[in-house]
Amino acid sequence: MGAGLWRAAGLRLLAIAVIVAVWQAVAMAKIWPPVFVPEPAAVWRQFVRTATEGYSGYPLAEHLLASLRRILIGCLYGIAGGISLGLLIGMLPSARALLGPLVTFVRTLPPLAYLSLLVIWFGIDEEPKIWLLLLASLPPVAVATAEAVRGVHEDYLNAARSLGAPRWALPWRVVLPSALPEIITGVRVAVGVAYTTVVAAETVNGVPGIGGMVRDAQRYNQTDVVILGIVVIGLSGLLIDFLLQSLDRVLVPWRGRT
Amino acid sequence: MPSPAADRTVARTMDGTVDGIAENAVDGPVGGAAAAIELKGVSHSYRGRLALGPIDLTIEAGEFVTVVGPSGCGKSTLLRAIAGFTAPTAGGITASGVPVDGPDPSRGFVFQQSRLFPWLTVAANVGFGLRHRPKAERVARVDELLALTGLADAARLRPYELSGGMRQRAAIARALAPGPRVLLMDEPFAALDAFTRERMQDEVRDLWRRTGTTVVFITHSVDEAVYLGTRILALSGSPGRVVLDERSELPALDHPRTDPRFGVSRERLAEVVRSAAEGAGDLVGDPGRGRTLAAEA
Repeated sequence: MGAGLWRAAGLRLLAIAVIVAVWQAVAMAKIWPPVFVPEPAAVWRQFVRTATEGYSGYPLAEHLLASLRRILIGCLYGIAGGISLGLLIGMLPSARALLGPLVTFVRTLPPLAYLSLLVIWFGIDEEPKIWLLLLASLPPVAVATAEAVRGVHEDYLNAARSLGAPRWALPWRVVLPSALPEIITGVRVAVGVAYTTVVAAETVNGVPGIGGMVRDAQRYNQTDVVILGIVVIGLSGLLIDFLLQSLDRVLVPWRGRT
Repeated sequence: MPSPAADRTVARTMDGTVDGIAENAVDGPVGGAAAAIELKGVSHSYRGRLALGPIDLTIEAGEFVTVVGPSGCGKSTLLRAIAGFTAPTAGGITASGVPVDGPDPSRGFVFQQSRLFPWLTVAANVGFGLRHRPKAERVARVDELLALTGLADAARLRPYELSGGMRQRAAIARALAPGPRVLLMDEPFAALDAFTRERMQDEVRDLWRRTGTTVVFITHSVDEAVYLGTRILALSGSPGRVVLDERSELPALDHPRTDPRFGVSRERLAEVVRSAAEGAGDLVGDPGRGRTLAAEA
């Protein structure tokens, strides 16, 4: 087990080294000017400068924290709404007929399609961004929850009822916990979607914010800052998914073993 | 119809000790007390086709009723109807004189696939039906049941960490927790290996002797039915009807398998089940069934 982990870590490091090496080679070949393909070292210098002096008036950490805060709040609302909607859709046929298509409709829309609408409704401050992330993260959770709720084995419900649980207590005591594995998978998908959406959300008045930083850098052709932003988004996304996976192991130790 | 209130005391005080069983041969309730379970003209259709019944059946408190029958004869449906999981298409079921219109803690259920809640520990599973009791009482009852089923060391484990036999023991403990008057068991040991299965049979027999709970036990094993049942029912193939209803003193003995009557009973029951299966044309070709019976006969 320990050896396997070291091996996996070694392979990952090797993959990163190869990517950086190829990048360095391409940059040094000067096929494209540095404005398009800056050297890894330039991005690193930009990272140090942004981290210490800041960019657009805010240090890198503050950009990142602003984005993470939006993702956190938007996802919390989205997950709460998604689980509630999913429960309704999964348990009530009439709710499925009514809300199912609506959820699918929102799910298929690219977030940018309704960002303009949200800006008209809620202005350009935090509100439209939170709404956008909410709308982006809700459907995956709702769909996962609804499917899991419909798939709950009826004998779990029968068992609970024959042990004296009243009908109204079943959603909380049986349906939600037995749907938990799928719900957590839905949450992981939702956070991923929120991550890809946050950059879109921050194209309008997004500073501080990683998306806003990237947007500003694009305006001034500061490719190194753009790449820095992309790398930071990717790495923090990896970290968050890792945390969610750990949460999954703590909350659903029985996954795949029943 | 006897009054439900009068019956309840009877059902509670009846300890269902082993001697009382064989003498219960007279059909119907004695002295106005309602039976533990009573079925009147119960039948069940599935997609317009009669699958079960009509069945009239009276189960007295303290009996250990085993039900055998070919697969697809509706024996599980029968048990689920008694549990209140499914309503029969016709007829009525009463438990201690009260009409069955849904699941109730007075009728505990043990599933073939344990159906322990995977998100709860073994102790929490056993305590699931004790929610409304004071905490101290709940803890004491859970401990008592875990000790009774030999799971004291497994209290903090999750169901997936248990072996098949331990899971079924936990499922039995969970079903017993609210103090049901009737324990309904749907092929509870079918998924266990032969060795564990025999041990579980002894444990259930022990448990029944100690608690005196009325048990209705579905099985497809003739051997198991004869070993456990103070009353043995055989159902015919679809639609399932009672083709044999027999009392037995064997479970009262210390070693039923060594008694000459055991082999005789088993042989006869196997014969009944075999001919019941052949009665249903679609079951003749079932190779699995033929093998089971041949092995047991």
